Amino acid sequence: MNIRVFYFFLALGLCVSFTYGQNTAFTALDSVYITDLKLKHYSTGRAVLQLSDSTTRLNRPLLTNTLNFNSPIYFKENGLGMVSSPSFRGTTASQTAVIWNGININSQFNGQLDFNTVNSGAYDEIAVRGGGGSVVYGTGAIGGSVHLNTKLEFIKQQEHNLFLQYGSFNTRDARYQFKLGTQAYSLSIALAHNSSDNDYDYPDGGTNLNGDFQNAALNVGLGFKLSRQHSLRFFSEVFDGERHFSLIRASETRTKYDDLNTKNLLEWEYDFSNFTSIARLAYLEEYYKYFGNLDSDNFSFGKAKTTIAKYDLTYAFYEGLSINSVLTNTYTSGEGSSLGDNDRNIFSAAVLMKHQLKNELDYELGFRKEITNNYESPFLFSVAASKAFSKHFSLNLSGSRNFRIPTYNDLYWSGAGNAELLPEKSLQGQLGASLTIANFNLDLTGYYNSVTDMIRWLPGSDGVWRPQNEEEVSIYGIESILNWSPKLGRKQHLELYGTYAYTVSENAQTGYQLIYVPFHKATAGINYDYKRFNGTVQAIYVGEVFTRSDNNSRYNLDAYAVANFSLGYSLGKEKNYELGTRVNNVFNAEYQSVVNRWMPGRNFNMYLNLKL
Amino acid sequence: MKINKLALFALLGVFVLNSCSNDDDASEPLPEGDYTDGFFVLNEGGIGTVTYISDDLSTVEQDIFASVNPNAADLGAYTQSIFFDDNDRAYIISNGSNLITVVDRYTFELIDVIDEGLTVPKYGVVYNGKAYVTNNNTFNDYTYDNDNPPASYDDFIAVINLETLSVESTIETDSYTEQIEEEDGLIYVNGSSFGYGNTINVINPSSNAVERTITTAFGVNSFDIEDGSIYALSSNSYEVFNKDNGEQLSVLEFADLSGASNLVLEDDQAYFTIDRSVYVMEQNSITEPATALLTYSSTSEYGAMYGFAVEDGRIYIADGGDFSSDSFVEIYSTSGSLLKNITVGLGPNGFYFN
Repeated sequence: MNIRVFYFFLALGLCVSFTYGQNTAFTALDSVYITDLKLKHYSTGRAVLQLSDSTTRLNRPLLTNTLNFNSPIYFKENGLGMVSSPSFRGTTASQTAVIWNGININSQFNGQLDFNTVNSGAYDEIAVRGGGGSVVYGTGAIGGSVHLNTKLEFIKQQEHNLFLQYGSFNTRDARYQFKLGTQAYSLSIALAHNSSDNDYDYPDGGTNLNGDFQNAALNVGLGFKLSRQHSLRFFSEVFDGERHFSLIRASETRTKYDDLNTKNLLEWEYDFSNFTSIARLAYLEEYYKYFGNLDSDNFSFGKAKTTIAKYDLTYAFYEGLSINSVLTNTYTSGEGSSLGDNDRNIFSAAVLMKHQLKNELDYELGFRKEITNNYESPFLFSVAASKAFSKHFSLNLSGSRNFRIPTYNDLYWSGAGNAELLPEKSLQGQLGASLTIANFNLDLTGYYNSVTDMIRWLPGSDGVWRPQNEEEVSIYGIESILNWSPKLGRKQHLELYGTYAYTVSENAQTGYQLIYVPFHKATAGINYDYKRFNGTVQAIYVGEVFTRSDNNSRYNLDAYAVANFSLGYSLGKEKNYELGTRVNNVFNAEYQSVVNRWMPGRNFNMYLNLKL
Repeated sequence: MKINKLALFALLGVFVLNSCSNDDDASEPLPEGDYTDGFFVLNEGGIGTVTYISDDLSTVEQDIFASVNPNAADLGAYTQSIFFDDNDRAYIISNGSNLITVVDRYTFELIDVIDEGLTVPKYGVVYNGKAYVTNNNTFNDYTYDNDNPPASYDDFIAVINLETLSVESTIETDSYTEQIEEEDGLIYVNGSSFGYGNTINVINPSSNAVERTITTAFGVNSFDIEDGSIYALSSNSYEVFNKDNGEQLSVLEFADLSGASNLVLEDDQAYFTIDRSVYVMEQNSITEPATALLTYSSTSEYGAMYGFAVEDGRIYIADGGDFSSDSFVEIYSTSGSLLKNITVGLGPNGFYFN
């Protein structure tokens, strides 16, 4: 079966490769290039939330904070800056895929990305796409995916942007972006540093001990348009983080976690007749050290090196119809204190098709199959259609099968790993409506998602924790995204935005809501400019969550609402300088997103934003 | 520990009998407290809690520490075990918070906490005014391979002065340190942990040094000392050693059974568990039992028999459940009939008898 499917895809790939067409290159000479082209092209009708760098500057640089205040994703955070895991549309932490410039960067070890180990300041754009996306993005794109993108702008420019912020708990945040380019080449450099003593007070009188962290990230994008047909692009990132894990009580063992992650991507695009051919080569390195007791220098570690070769060929029959085959080989060599040395190779083939009909009906189809010795890989598909009924109103419908593969820890952890694990699988469908009137936009999406073979780690009577394909989860809910920028004349600018998610995520056997999945989460923001003044308000509301699998309400964590406020003033002829101040948690809410892990009360920041 | 408990029980019995015989002069029964006539179930948590169950199984009280001490901090994360001293005190060990909470064993009133000098503490035993508490320390000394043991171990035993309730010295054993027992003035420590290691170390408390190292099968998970012998159980074998010279007296290699744990010696019988079943055989048997004494039903993936005890004609089983909701214990007669199923707290892992 596997082999046959593989040949089928290979044949299809070749077939497409050798069918020549007539028209000019499919990718126009766009001035802005984002390598994750499929995010737009294969999200037919779907609401994709885009956060620009000016939005991300309103928050702390940790990705958790940025997304918590601007997206429907729910986060459980072990205190500010500590381990943070998402629940996107009621799924688990490893069911949100994080995509860096089109490449899946979820950890090889635990399948997740800790959203407090990403510095938002290193990216030009962060996008959030709800719902399944495994056909394009691979493992983990079950609840949705988060996209970290570098923008290459092929315009004549030279621009510096420096953002400095200092605040309570000796928190420092520095972000520098440099853009240089012409029509022929583009360079983008983003450098971000963030550190904090993070020793805030708890409402019950304690202090956040051993919670300090620092991290630095460098992200570089470089692109050349060599000719009308050939382009060469390179993306690279280094992230270096050191984070202590905070204590609930002073007697606990002090620990810390160091990360050193690098990502490199080289791509060559060749446009000929109706074809766009993109060959990509990526090399990712993930290295962590965990110091289980800071009194000693001993640490445990995990190191994974991943090489990805990807060939992506698109054929455009005409402007509204294209077919795309993607062949990917991913080779990972991993080692770790408790993992031994293990290699794994995954080959995948995907075929995607998009058709835009004249009557405002678009549809897309996609298939993907992986071949590996490590687990039995399911056949994945996605189908989506969208129909615009007028300028103002459109509907979209989609369905997909997605997966999350067993990780290195799941398979190989010494004395516990389970080589027999199956991938987690998800079958889901969604129906969305989009309403746009002038500067008002509302997206509403209802979805259903059935997840089977969920992998869970549980302790045994011998004290050893082991993973098992165990649970089935049924999830349904509503997600809405709203934006409104009423026109107020030349001197003022007002923008209102918000999200709301209603999520029911039930263990299919027991009918109980999963722990740490709130029924309600809402975000809201106001951005108001008057002459040289700029004021913002951001707020989130998170409903109460169960912390016990039997939904015993005695142990629930309370709902909370948190609001931030900022005020800035622009200086200079071109309003190039902005000075401002920000108050986080302005109403001093006492809240925690994980039992016994308090978050900070009211705290203050000052910032300077400088554009040259 | 078993002997200690028995001795305590005997002592208790004397008290109770005394109080009974003195009924007429209406003196208060000794010892005094709400929790005198029953036993504790330790729930590891999350945050650890203690459930009290009366001996007649009719009274059940959850989270007694919080109800007796409403203003005190909690018992800490992942409470591992409880040990008692000769002074009516109970010591509740939290391995996640490096904490021992000291309470009156009959009233559960907080006396003090020990929160320095411990790193992942597991088990404790008291001898001569001192507590000996094993500590796993970091987990960097696990090679997960019995053929390639680590070059050194960082586990240690904290020696706690029970007058000052502070750690006054530590003992290293060149092994992991887990279950700890005292017998005739010597301290016995299991050097196997999570299936790795193959020693039981004998420590002389007068020198705080390892006096003898007994080589066992790999991965001893429980042991007991009775009648001058050490009985050690690992997944596939049951070994008996002479307590005084470490000589192996007998070994029973299981043929049909595998995955044994939770050894308890009681009334010359050896009880142990495999998966969801309890087995019993003569203490000195050299043949394995053919059938289980009882099998209970559990939906727990790996957490069946998360706690186990045999005491005074009853078998006590704690089920780990799914570790994210309150679970249960079951109490059986030693003939294997169910007396009661009782809901307790999160992750019940042990029974402690007053």
